[in-house]
Amino acid sequence: MKFHLHVGVIRCEDAATLEQALAAAECTSRVLARPAPNVAVLEQADANRLVEALNERGLHPKVMR
Amino acid sequence: MTSATVTNYSQGELDLLAVIEMVIARAPRVLKNGLPNLAFFRTANQALAQPDNEHEGGAFAQIEFWLAIARQAGLLAEADGTLAPGPRADAFFALPADQRRETLRSAWFDARDLNEFAITPELELPSLRKGRTVDVVSDIPGADTLAAARRTLAAMAQGLGDEMSLGAFIRRAKSEHPSLFVNHDDDKSWRNVYYRGIRQAGARQDCERDGNWENVEGTVIALVCELPLSRLGFIDYDGRTRTLRPASSDTAPPAFEIVVQPNFEVMALGDRPDAGTLWKLARFTTPQPEGRVRRYRLERAPFSAALGRGMAAPELVGLLESLSRTPLPQNVQFSLRDWGAASERIRIWPDALFIEAEGVEDLSRLLGDRVAALGLETVDGGHRVCASPDAATLRAALPPRRAALDYSRRLPPVITPGEGASLRAPREELHFRARQLLELVSRSRGTDIYELHEATVRASAAALGPAELLQRVRDGLARPLSPSVALAMRTWSGEFKPPIADQCELLFAESPEQAELLEELPELRGWIERKLGAGAYLLKVGGAERAREALKRLGLDARKRK
Repeated sequence: MKFHLHVGVIRCEDAATLEQALAAAECTSRVLARPAPNVAVLEQADANRLVEALNERGLHPKVMR
Repeated sequence: MTSATVTNYSQGELDLLAVIEMVIARAPRVLKNGLPNLAFFRTANQALAQPDNEHEGGAFAQIEFWLAIARQAGLLAEADGTLAPGPRADAFFALPADQRRETLRSAWFDARDLNEFAITPELELPSLRKGRTVDVVSDIPGADTLAAARRTLAAMAQGLGDEMSLGAFIRRAKSEHPSLFVNHDDDKSWRNVYYRGIRQAGARQDCERDGNWENVEGTVIALVCELPLSRLGFIDYDGRTRTLRPASSDTAPPAFEIVVQPNFEVMALGDRPDAGTLWKLARFTTPQPEGRVRRYRLERAPFSAALGRGMAAPELVGLLESLSRTPLPQNVQFSLRDWGAASERIRIWPDALFIEAEGVEDLSRLLGDRVAALGLETVDGGHRVCASPDAATLRAALPPRRAALDYSRRLPPVITPGEGASLRAPREELHFRARQLLELVSRSRGTDIYELHEATVRASAAALGPAELLQRVRDGLARPLSPSVALAMRTWSGEFKPPIADQCELLFAESPEQAELLEELPELRGWIERKLGAGAYLLKVGGAERAREALKRLGLDARKRK
């Protein structure tokens, strides 16, 4: 068990949605880890970029703050 | 029972709400003086029940007042240079009305950013700098004096026995508290002839102290009666007759309803809207507070943001249904359901605590009840995630002798170069950044052992660029790579071309002068691949023969190595 603090996490319905979301924000190559096929861990800055990119595309993810 | 207090306080609270709604709608940038720009003040002013008249010399006293109170109470806060709802706004509007009033009163008493002298239209304060700090040589009261004066005036207002004219109230304040704002104990001194730094609007010099108490302190007290004392429910103030009455209690329940239109507009109608309920509406819609009628626009972005703050889509739809006399239009119902479902498809924690289950660990057993306060959610793979808690909550939740890897800081390099192209990385120390690096450059070769892998490095360098990849390698390793491994890495990454090891064709000049002349020959220049040094050239394949032919045409026989 490890505690990772101040990371960005994205969880999608399925792996394909995750790939699309990451690609939309050009974050694919900066993913820190994929602990599950539909979950990715990112740096905080990349997660914020991801939120902005998805909002710009009208996708409006559920942002948990 | 309807009373002026009800009207004044409730209206004051609705004015405060209108200002906050305007902040939500406009997200105004905060200027150097800590306030939004003039355009914001103008539009927010129009959203008030009784807007200030900009052209009658009054600035926007009400807006400045409500902004200061809202910031003091934590209802508004600056975030990334813009004004936004503050951390305490949701909790504030969830309070009962009387507790909200007490909170606002406390905020007014303690507001250090508010200076009633600065927002009194009848006064000008040339010595008050832009940041609302007071010049040392002025008589403008500072924050502590103002705080004490506010409490004094509030106590006077609450002690009112009967109706009193504003003039009588000011005269009473003068007789009982002559130095309420400015010390008048030594007015006979030549130093205290003027109210330093305080002028009447349009005047060219400071007010004289003699005979001007009513024109200076009196006008400020009038503003205090009209704004804080009245709007925060200390008194009933009638601006038309300029009279004060003791505050009467309010027991009438709120009464209003909403109309949800098929164009996604929500209108709040009724004489006595409840600020707490309107706030709930404002939190998942885009408020449109400019007009006389309160309007809110249902839009996907604020709806999703509300879901992210922990609200559930059915809860929000239920709120609309409970406030609306008629059923919601079908297209609105459908859209809200769709937005809720779509938003659930992608969930992002931009600043998260991620608890990673390693192997077949059962986190629910390992974590126990200690982490209940964190509000963890289970994600696929048995891991847990929640928004990053504050340090104290995290400390209380962490099991003994466990530390969190803090990604807001530089994490220690845990990968060590081993023999040859191998890398050692102990599993228990591996953080995500180290794991990411290993994935970019290596393949696992056994427990804690990895090996640099050419194809992986090439692919990563193509995706990230050689410079970025090599920088990550430099940052991520506890020790530099050995020269041989570094050469391999930098070559694989594309930073270097592979070195040439072959039977080469060379051209050597005997002296720099001869080299210069040789370089001038066009027949030779085209066959030189690279200049190796002074007078030494690597020739392209077949270049030696061509060079000999070119020199032959000049009657020169090139020498061959023996």
